[in-house]
Parts: sequence; structure tokens; C-alpha cells
Amino acid sequence: MNLNLKSDKTHTFDAIVVGSGMTGGMAAKELTERGLQVLMIERGREVKHIEDYDTAMKGPWEFEHRGRVSIHSAEEYWANNRFGTLANEETGPFFTDDKKNPYIEKRPFDWIRAYHTGGKSMHWGRQSYRMNKKDFEANAKEGIAIDWPIRYEDLEPWYTHVEKFVGISGQAEGWEVLPDGHYLPAMPMSAPERYFRETMMKKLNRPVTIGRVANLTKPQPWHTDLGRASCQYRSKCARGCPYGAYYSSLSGSIPAARKTNKLTVLHDTIASEIIYDEKTQRAKGVRVINQNTMAVEEFFAKIVFLNAGSMNSAALLLNSKSNRFPTGLGNDSDQVGRNIMDHHLGVGANATVEGFENDYIFGQRPNALYIPRFRNWGADKKDFLRGYGYQGGASKSDWKRGITMNGFGASFKEDMSHPGTWTMGFGGFGEILPDPSNRMFLDKDKKDKWGIPMIVFDAAFGENELAMRKDMMASAVEMLEVAGFKNVTGFNRQDTHPGLGIHDMGTARMGKDPKNSALNKFNQVHACKNVFVTDGAAMVSSSCVNPSITYMAMTARAADYAVKELKRQNL
Amino acid sequence: MNRRTAITHVATMLGGAFSAPTLLAMKRWEDRLPSESFPTGFSLTENQKLIVAEVAEAIIPKTATPGAKDVGVPAFIVMMLQDCYKTPEHKSFAEGLIKLEKQQFLSMNADQRNALLVQVEADSVEEMKAYQVQQTKMGDNEDREQMAAQAKGLPFWRLIKELTMLGYFTSEQGIKSSFEYVPIPGKLEMIKMKPNQKSFAY
Repeated sequence: MNLNLKSDKTHTFDAIVVGSGMTGGMAAKELTERGLQVLMIERGREVKHIEDYDTAMKGPWEFEHRGRVSIHSAEEYWANNRFGTLANEETGPFFTDDKKNPYIEKRPFDWIRAYHTGGKSMHWGRQSYRMNKKDFEANAKEGIAIDWPIRYEDLEPWYTHVEKFVGISGQAEGWEVLPDGHYLPAMPMSAPERYFRETMMKKLNRPVTIGRVANLTKPQPWHTDLGRASCQYRSKCARGCPYGAYYSSLSGSIPAARKTNKLTVLHDTIASEIIYDEKTQRAKGVRVINQNTMAVEEFFAKIVFLNAGSMNSAALLLNSKSNRFPTGLGNDSDQVGRNIMDHHLGVGANATVEGFENDYIFGQRPNALYIPRFRNWGADKKDFLRGYGYQGGASKSDWKRGITMNGFGASFKEDMSHPGTWTMGFGGFGEILPDPSNRMFLDKDKKDKWGIPMIVFDAAFGENELAMRKDMMASAVEMLEVAGFKNVTGFNRQDTHPGLGIHDMGTARMGKDPKNSALNKFNQVHACKNVFVTDGAAMVSSSCVNPSITYMAMTARAADYAVKELKRQNL
Repeated sequence: MNRRTAITHVATMLGGAFSAPTLLAMKRWEDRLPSESFPTGFSLTENQKLIVAEVAEAIIPKTATPGAKDVGVPAFIVMMLQDCYKTPEHKSFAEGLIKLEKQQFLSMNADQRNALLVQVEADSVEEMKAYQVQQTKMGDNEDREQMAAQAKGLPFWRLIKELTMLGYFTSEQGIKSSFEYVPIPGKLEMIKMKPNQKSFAY
């Protein structure tokens, strides 16, 4: 081992942020803008905004397998491949080689990772919904797990703060179930979608809105200042956007942090341990390993933000053992690694739409419809807890319809060059209840190539999720039938596991009581106050809405608090 | 403006440029060697390759616009079968080809070929039903893998039709001659169809 332990000025910062993804980027931005010198540590390779978006402008013919996944890639990206075509040549560069970064499944867990600058913010679905007031109260009211230590009102100003910075297109609707935020102009609905929205409200009293999505429909000055431009409606976001039109750490928070001249970024640098000082009872820094050279170094700071992604942030806590914390930093409660949540998906329905023959769409909308939760909301009561939202929409069928049709030859070929009928479909995102037996932990013996214990997953859906899935399919079928659409077909994928929603969370939950939670209401580790965990690990319940904007709001709030506490000399 | 120029243009506009390592990594990604772990050595005889080409051309013939053979679909089909499919599909594809060989497909005239392929397509509807029943009967992931290795693959007709269409409609000539190709729409609009409206491709 090549040990190079320095404590000189080049290794000392005001703050260390572990991770450069959705929340790491936001932490770096908020901390540097408040005057702190920040070191950001990214375990993966460097991706430079725009210039490294190698596939962004390619034509379909420039991908050898034309969007399909080769057996070779499917083996390298075995976990990614459970999702669908993530490992293809188009988007594969922004996912992680699972063969080189293996993990252990005591029970199956679909762990999708993104080890590079920007992390999963490079290829997120960009759907951005606020959690509602009742989401924060549900655990306490229903006696599930523990209560959130914060309420909607605590996060409200921070939602506003990050929404404006990120730039979210959407429609304010005034619905309690889906609180409105600050939106750029909404993207239009297609003709059958407008019909569907009206019919659902009239016949089932169920609201339908256009997705709230982090793509710039009308850039504001603070967006263009960072070099971000309007969406070009190519819907090729996951390749990286050369226009910076969708929000990622690369297009947004990292450039903003760099503008302060207070940001240092290290790539290929794996945080292996948080260094705890028994005397001051504070973390004094982070030990890292270069993923290529294997060189070990230490970096020091007054505060440490963990934004490594929920599972890796928890793993880092668990691997940071000291006399004070023999089972991992901040793990007095034995809750670190437990309560894994996600959103379960792969359930919904499809249909064909008759009519609207003369309607068509120019451009590809990188967005869909959103049907907010209606289950166990208001007067609705079901035999399971919580609920789900749907995402989907209508599209006019293209040549791919021909694959399952009968026919070939000259007239078939000609027919395929014209649009076919409309189809419509959507799938659910369901809330998963926290359960302490759904967990990850570090293997006692097996280590990765950097000598860090491997992560073991031991989690599964519970009865509540399985009951909800049945209803998710049935309601999707019901809605498409009520709309009068044809060939309505439900689906409920049986081969999904926790993790596939790529919303894995909950492994270092916040709480009021250090006995049953890892973090306090400002995301501080209860017994080591200068360590903040502000990624999905902090979540106490999962709601059913896409979580990134909530993680970012939590991060901005915690960063503001951390700097105030530093100034008050409490850290 | 090709894609390379386009990106470089945008990158330069914002003060960046392609780094040599990036270009190298990209090339490596594109040039990666095929898997060493091919389940079987899937290969076709010259005669079988000719049948693949003629069937593909029957599905997408040359008309006022290029046909499947013009845009390299036959080689694409073989490459895709090698790279993206496993034993069950290799077997079912070979079975379908051998049947056509026995029926002297290559010696037939256009009408005879057409009639035979209509029959092959009709038969594949039944084969698809059997295939789907077998798929739903498969259990958990571990079982699924094992059973999938022994199970029958997608029928020959379904494979060759899907790969012909994919190869053709994603080829540069295929896209540009069949559709209105709009790589950068720049706007999103709900519009009305024009007479003889072609599909937009992006």
C-alpha cells in the first residue's frame, strides 16, 4: 500500500463533499456560495460537460447494435440490464460496469449505479414533484417506523430555492396531493392526452397533469449564465445534453460552484473511511483510495457531507469504525443500512386509441403525463397503506408496430413510413414502507479490489407492496377502459426487486430520537455533529413521488444550517 | 453539419474541446471486441446467408427507395444474432433457415417465394403463442436463466422480420428515405397531419 499522509494546506478544506451526483453537486454549490472552500470527492472517472457527451449527436445508425444490448454488455452490466436497455451503446457510458464493481445479493437487489462526475444526475428521469404535507405525517399517524423530524413547512422554502435554480417545467394545479412549485412554462399535451385528462376528471374525479420535468422550456438568466439553453426536444437526455437543457450536476450545480473559485474536485477517488477524532468527538476528515493507482491519502475539513448515493453513504458510515463507534460512525441506533426503500414499478397498462387520426406531434417530448396518487387519499380507502402515482402518455405508433403485424413487401414498407394509430399507456411508481429487516450491510470477509468490504443486500417487497401492485395494474386498466380505449392490456412484472426504481433510500434515516435514527432534523449524524448525510439515505418514508428534488431541497437546507453552525462555532 | 462538427461547435462555443483520452475512450467503446463467451459458435453457410439476404429483401424490397440489401441489412442480421442473442434464438433461427433450404427457396421465383413467406408468417403466429406461454411459465430469475438456456427461442420469422426492420429503419439511408428525419427539432408542437404525412424520425 502506498501511504501518503499529509496534513498540509493542500489537504485541508472547510468542507468535504463525498459524491458529485444530484445532492453532492447541490451541497458543493450551496457551501461554496456561502464562502466555504470545498473539496468534492468523486469515485469514478471524470466526465466533462458537453465535450465528453460522446454519443449526444450520433444518428441511430452510428450505434452498432442500434439501441440493443449485446450479450457482452449485458454480462458486464448485469444489474443495469435488469432495468431494460441501460447497457446499450447510447446510454451505457453513464452507467457502471457491475462486473468490475460487484456486490452481494442475499436476496436480489437491482442496484443501478453511476460512478462518474454527476452520478445519476446524468441520466435521471428528471421528474420533480414535491412531497405533500401528509407524506411527512403518515408514519406517525399510521404507527409505521418512526416519525419524520421535519414537516412540509420546513422544506417548503428550500423546495422553492432548488426548483428555481434547477429549472422545472410544469403546470401549477392547486392540488393538495401534489403541492405546486415554481415552474417554467409547461410542455403541451397531445390531443388524446387532453381528452384523457378531461375524461378522468369527469368520470373518475382523478387528476391528470403534464409531468413536472427538469428540462428548460424557457431558460432564466441564472440558467443562461451557466451556459444552459432551451430544450431542443430531441429526448436524448440520457446521452448527456450538449445544450445543458436538462439539469444535472454537470450542467447546473458544479459550474455554479466553480464560479466561486472555491471548489476543488478529485476524480477516481474512493472515500473508504471517515476519520473520527476521539478527543474532539468530531470527524476530522476522510481517507481515500485512488481507484487506479491505489494510493491512499487523507483529507481534512471542518465538516463532511455524505452524498455518495444512499447505499454507498451508508456503507461509508458502516466502514468508519472507531473506539467510539465500533459498528460504524453514527450507528448507535443500529439503523444504518436498514429500512431500504425505493419505488416499486413495472406495473401498469397499455391500450390503443381510436380516433385523433389527424393529430400528430412535431418534436420528442422528454416528459410524460403524471397522475398523482389517488389511493388512500381523501375518502378513498384500500386494504393496503399509502399509494402510487402513474407516469405515461400517448404516442403515435411508428415503424415498430410492423414487427408484430402480419405483412411484408413493397406496400408494407411504404405503410411503415407513415405514422400509425395512437397508443396510450402508463406505469405506476409505488410507495414502499420502511422495514428494518430490509437492509444492506458490509460483508465480514469479502473485500473489493480496493480492500473495502463488499456490500451485501438483503431486502424484498413486503405484503403491502405486493397488494398495492395488484391494484396498480387494475386501476390502470380501469382508467384506460373508462376512457374508451381499445385492446387494454395490464402488466405486472414479476421479475423486479427493490432497487429497480433507482430511488434506493432510507439507510441512515432522520429522526427525533438518537436511539432509533441516525440523523437529526438537519441531517447531522446525532453523535457526530459535523457529519451531514443529505442524499436519499436520510429519508424516513418514501412517498410515491420521484425523490431527487426532495433530496436537493434537504441538501440546501442542511448546507445553510451547517454554515450557520460553523459561524456560531458549534461545529 | 455532422454530429462531430455539431458537438465540437457547441463545445467550442462554451470554451471546451474534445480531450484525446475522451476520443480514445469513445473509440474503445465503439470498437470493443465481441464477447469471448459466445454460447455457441453461431455461424451460417454461404447458402444460408443468401437466404437471409433474400428474405430480408422480400420484407423490405428495393422500390423508389433503397431495399434491405442496399443498406447492409443481411450482414447486420448475422452480426446482431451473434452479438445480442443466445442459444435458443440461434437454434430457432437456424431451424427456420434449414426449412427454407429444404424447400429450395433460392430456386423459387418471386411469386413462389412470396407465397412461401406468407405461409411462414402464418405459422409463426402459432409459434409465437407457444413461445409466450413458455415465457410466462418461467419462474424466478435463477430458474429463468436456466430454463431460458434450454427453451426454444423466438421463431425464425419474428427474428428475421424484427432485425430486418430494425436494421433498415435505423440505417442512414433507410431513415432519410423513409421518414422526415429531424435530429434537432428545436421545438415541440402539437400539429395536424399533412396529406401523405411521413413519420418524423429523430
